[in-house]
Amino acid sequence: MNKAEFLDMIREVMDREEELKEEMLLEDVEEYDSLAALSLMAMFDEYGIDVSPKTFEELKTVRDLVDLAMRGIINEG
Amino acid sequence: MAKVCFKNGRISAIVTTVGDRKVNIDDEKDRFGLDEKSLKRLKKTIGLESRYVVSEGICTSDLCFQSAKSIFKNKNLDKNEIEALIFVTQSPDFRAPSTAIIMQDRLGLSKDTLAYDINLGCSGFIYGLFTAYSFIASGLKKVLLLVGDVASSYTGKFDKTLTPLLGDAGSAILLENVEGLKSYFVLHSDGSGYQHLIIPGGACRKPYSRLHGNKGEISENGIAADETSMYMNGGEIFNFSIKVVPELFSELFELSGADEHNIDYFVLHQPNKYILKNIQKRLGLNEDTIPSRTASVFGNQNSASIPGTINGFLYDEFSNSRLRNVFAGFGIGLSWGACYLETDSIYAPRVEKLNKDVLDRSI
Repeated sequence: MNKAEFLDMIREVMDREEELKEEMLLEDVEEYDSLAALSLMAMFDEYGIDVSPKTFEELKTVRDLVDLAMRGIINEG
Repeated sequence: MAKVCFKNGRISAIVTTVGDRKVNIDDEKDRFGLDEKSLKRLKKTIGLESRYVVSEGICTSDLCFQSAKSIFKNKNLDKNEIEALIFVTQSPDFRAPSTAIIMQDRLGLSKDTLAYDINLGCSGFIYGLFTAYSFIASGLKKVLLLVGDVASSYTGKFDKTLTPLLGDAGSAILLENVEGLKSYFVLHSDGSGYQHLIIPGGACRKPYSRLHGNKGEISENGIAADETSMYMNGGEIFNFSIKVVPELFSELFELSGADEHNIDYFVLHQPNKYILKNIQKRLGLNEDTIPSRTASVFGNQNSASIPGTINGFLYDEFSNSRLRNVFAGFGIGLSWGACYLETDSIYAPRVEKLNKDVLDRSI
């Protein structure tokens, strides 16, 4: 999938209607709570990307999620 | 790696008693400080609906007492044939002695009974069952296994991260020495994760005397600040669960030679619907073979969750059919294990609520 499709997918996972921008801070994304983090962790794991909960806690921005996804979910360019 | 096959032994009864009070998450939202939107999401994703808890003062042993009494009444059992009593719990009556010993007397068992407690939670049923089968292998005739927890006694009253997930339950399981029935067990431990699911205070590392009276207090992120309450790092436990269970199953199938397509029921520990659905999807299992509703209706029942699922949702099937089963428990420790075994029309009545009138010492 491409980056835009990935962003749509994580919006769906966190149950968010508004758009997500890469530069957004995760702490400013209202829907990004511990449950959303778990769901995303499970999603990454399904794509074979092994992320520890500790790494996840250290993510700062939506771009950090995108960077993780480059390891096997996003294929573009 | 502990992998074991037993040649003898049969489960002949599984009975579960749950707490006498049903609480709905809708009625608890203010206590946990949840707004409508988060409540809706928790209900949808985790499957939170209701849970059964005990009234103040009721212990796990009381729930197990009612379950054991039901077995004695319905199995027409000579109690003198019970040679061992094992009690698996994290909520014993006292710090010491073992509650199992008190239960020997309370249940009217012979003084020739061996009795002791095992301190385990989510994996506890598998470990208790393993211990019971080991006793049968060493020649004992009948073993009574009691498992369960009154989690409401050790979770923080306002802790939204853990308390709404847990329910109180106590089960009794009877194992008999019958030849020619095989069972298979795979068991693991990893103490490096001990801090992820823990009641830190109240034992020797942090005795009560050194703790301050901050009962009921809540830290910034809604976790119980009081160290005699249980703490859980949800991310670590979730990650652990979805990783170890699939691996556990492949080990079990390799050991037992059983075909995963021929299993009637995968009865797993029931932390919540979300984790179970995740495991089911990962393993590609038919959802009818892997029940996942227990936590939504009764709460996560710790070591009683597997019997609690059988008595809660599969009582007809276990009472009337011959079944090939996989049981698996995973959690606090970290500790995890699974077994493959067959059951044939056992005494497995529908779960009952605690009846406080049953709690006299006579039986």
